[in-house]
Amino acid sequence: MRGDHPTGARPARLGRRAFLGSAALGSAALGAAALAGCTSDEASGQGPGRRVPFLGDHQPGIDTPAAHFGLLAAFNLVSEDRARLARSLRDLTDEARALMEARPPERRDTAYPPAETGMLGPGGRTDGLAVTLSVGASLFDDRFGLAGRQPTELVRMPFLSNDRLDPAQTHGDLLLSLSADQPDVLLHALRQLMRRTRDNLVLHWMLDGYNRPDAAPVPGRTDNRNLLGFKDGTANLDITDKGLMDELIWVGADDGEPAWAVGGSYQAVRIIRMFVEFWDRTPLNEQQKIIGRDKASGAPLGQDRESDDPGYGDDPAGRRVPLDAHIRMANPRTAGTAGSRILRRGFNFSRGFDNAGRLDQGLAFVSYQRSLSKGFLAVQARLKGEPLEEYILPVGGGFFFALPGVTSEDAWLGQQLLA
Amino acid sequence: MGEADRVEPGAGGVGRVVAALGLGAVLLLAGCGKDDGAGVRSQGSASGSGTGSGTGSGLAGQDLSGTTNDQLVLKAVADYKTWVVAEVDGLVADTAKFTDAVRAGDVAEAKKQYAPSRVRWERIEPIAGLVEEIDGAVDARVDDFEGVDDPAFTGWHRLEYHLWEKGSTAGTKTFADRLDKDLATLDQKMKGLEFPPAAVALGPAELIEEVSEGKITGEEDRYSHTDLSDFAANVDGSRKLFELLTPSLQAKDATLTSEITAGFAAVDKSLSEYANPDGSFDLYTALQAVDKTRMQAELADLSEKLARIPGVLGLKG
Repeated sequence: MRGDHPTGARPARLGRRAFLGSAALGSAALGAAALAGCTSDEASGQGPGRRVPFLGDHQPGIDTPAAHFGLLAAFNLVSEDRARLARSLRDLTDEARALMEARPPERRDTAYPPAETGMLGPGGRTDGLAVTLSVGASLFDDRFGLAGRQPTELVRMPFLSNDRLDPAQTHGDLLLSLSADQPDVLLHALRQLMRRTRDNLVLHWMLDGYNRPDAAPVPGRTDNRNLLGFKDGTANLDITDKGLMDELIWVGADDGEPAWAVGGSYQAVRIIRMFVEFWDRTPLNEQQKIIGRDKASGAPLGQDRESDDPGYGDDPAGRRVPLDAHIRMANPRTAGTAGSRILRRGFNFSRGFDNAGRLDQGLAFVSYQRSLSKGFLAVQARLKGEPLEEYILPVGGGFFFALPGVTSEDAWLGQQLLA
Repeated sequence: MGEADRVEPGAGGVGRVVAALGLGAVLLLAGCGKDDGAGVRSQGSASGSGTGSGTGSGLAGQDLSGTTNDQLVLKAVADYKTWVVAEVDGLVADTAKFTDAVRAGDVAEAKKQYAPSRVRWERIEPIAGLVEEIDGAVDARVDDFEGVDDPAFTGWHRLEYHLWEKGSTAGTKTFADRLDKDLATLDQKMKGLEFPPAAVALGPAELIEEVSEGKITGEEDRYSHTDLSDFAANVDGSRKLFELLTPSLQAKDATLTSEITAGFAAVDKSLSEYANPDGSFDLYTALQAVDKTRMQAELADLSEKLARIPGVLGLKG
């Protein structure tokens, strides 16, 4: 896998680039834009007019090009009424679509509150906004009669190695994952989505942050860095490789999952605090051994270029890349571990400081995979006890399932789940 | 309210508007803060108190210039004023029971009378906030001051602090006297106050905003924990306004009217779990997290719908 990790941040790895996909802008985005009826300007994939198509077999925001900013908002449901849940999902679908397609807001008399925030000005900017809706394991408890429809691996995220999960920022009935190239678009979208669903959705936790996606993504390289200062995204999956996405990301018809789940994806979210002051006091040599890459170039230790293979085959004793280096444990690059590669879509966060005066910074790790056990959990198990654990602390997140996409005008997210 | 009210002393009406909730703040930020709409400021609205002791409620910071010729609305406004004036009369009497107990040094009786004395205030809070300086003097919370010993910290919450935190009435006579005096002033001024139709239209949402901002968080009555009593009074005041406006609302937007009715019913049902036969409510500390969360959603949803009332009524500024 590239993937290195779950832990995020890891080091250099994955992040975005890959997923950004290289050619993504060229082919996928263009095609998508064309389908959405965008102008050629929008189709260029840049600027306020960039649109990510809403309709599709899969939800946007997963295998679509990475954006500069991300926001996660987890909600709990107030009502135990299944019909009301359906209404909320319909409203979320309609609002997400309106936001992503820049649908003009309803015009109202000035004696009414305005229909939208106005933050984006008239004319409707989208800036590559993608809204992704996922469900948590708790949705399948006894409230909505969905117990028999739970994805087979969707469980309440347990405490994993090194975890100190804070209930106030962990789990949730629903999760909205937003991404866009400008932060105001995210805040606008969040407010509009919440406004539509106030009677039933109550915020449980939220987190926002940023990335530095590559302008012209090339698999195997990235300029994106995490808050440890290492490249993050080098070995992420190539989202333009549809065969790879089908193999590793999307739940298939023969996976033994409920029929409604086909086309969806398991989503692992980990809020990983990084003790950056402590890290900054650590010798560079040690930092690089912990990660397994040269900090400046991103090259695997002992190699010249970021995109070079680490060459574990002729380094069985870990003389170049230590056996417990993050990239090596996360992705041993063996035939047996190829199936555990995951698609990472996280972002860096900074949210003030703790009561010890330490910066509260880290990585919102987000991964998508066809199977939690074969994907995230396999990677996480390999990373148990890695030296990096001393510098990081998972404090929240949860396991979710990203619903399949909406393919027709009148369909809504979760429709098959509730059918 | 004294919720957020106090902003830079001396900043004048505009400055404090920033602290106002909801629409008021939005309007100001949008650069359209005509908080003194025709004839309202002269009646005593959002002008600066000059004492730095907090000031009006959200309504005092809002644009109340919108008006209408709808006779049903104008009747509601007139009826509302009649009701409010009677409420203030009752408020003065209710509060006298509280302040008398304080002056008598009867801590137990004073504690017993504290929450009931506030009920009528909480029902009419936004409109009372239009009377200059009263809100900050009688209902400001300690957050508006440097500390509990600030002499400008007066009113119910100052007395609440002494009764619950110190368990004593020592040194509180001046505060009890001041509360009576301020409410007498309110009573007198309220009778002469012209009620802007916009205040009546915005009032229902404003009262629910009060609940969402201060009562559901337990910040209003932090020493006595009688927040749910204030909560219920805010809701009652909101519902009273809605009921008065219903004839006009029903004719113009029957769907919204029924949604609001259902919204009040949902809040009532949740709150009833904490109501006692004698009319009192359980302490805030008894509020279950799951119930609090549900109430927050019910209040937020109700706020969204109540906020449409001025639009439905077509109030023109």
